[in-house]
Amino acid sequence: MATTWADDSETKILYVQTHGADDPGRSATPFFLAASAAAMEFEVKIYFTMYGPTLLRKDVVDKIGPKGDQGQPLRYFIEQATSLGVRLLVCQPSLDLNDLVLDDLIDGVEVIGGAAFNDLAASADAVISF
Amino acid sequence: MSEPTAPPADEVLDCTGLACPLPVVKTAQAIKNLSPGQVLELLATDPGVEPDMRAWSSRTGNELLGISKQADVFHILIRRVK
Repeated sequence: MATTWADDSETKILYVQTHGADDPGRSATPFFLAASAAAMEFEVKIYFTMYGPTLLRKDVVDKIGPKGDQGQPLRYFIEQATSLGVRLLVCQPSLDLNDLVLDDLIDGVEVIGGAAFNDLAASADAVISF
Repeated sequence: MSEPTAPPADEVLDCTGLACPLPVVKTAQAIKNLSPGQVLELLATDPGVEPDMRAWSSRTGNELLGISKQADVFHILIRRVK
């Protein structure tokens, strides 16, 4: 379950991504940093809120990357992070804001609410917001 | 700038031309394929790789044996500890 921290003994970082698919230059860095953190054996989650969930759309991840339609697509950076154990979280109001349902997003994304987010944030070693 | 005292590597991981975070990510994966005590030599050209690998080694408990730079390539020796 990704909605709580699994291991009290590990360093935990929670990244927050608020930017969406209309701002590709801000799309990939949280995935880079999350992958680096996971490679350092940290427990890592990324919470997508505001426009963030649009980055996880099935019909977006292959179309944009940090340099727009040039270079590696977002799916590459997302899978690099998730293959190292990074977990992806969204909240329902942000799905609503962007007229999305969970099925519109790539597999593996989990839904949390404000209380779970605050609990994760309060018990993380660092919360980094973009 | 060679380090004659450095042990030979059991495996070489070539990350030349790859940018952050790939050298760190690939090192983390490669070290898992070694046995404790074995040495990985990472080759990288990312200019941030030296502070990155110092931080990574310190955090993961693996031993950074040495960093040297030959031409534009960093040679980083890491011993898997646990």
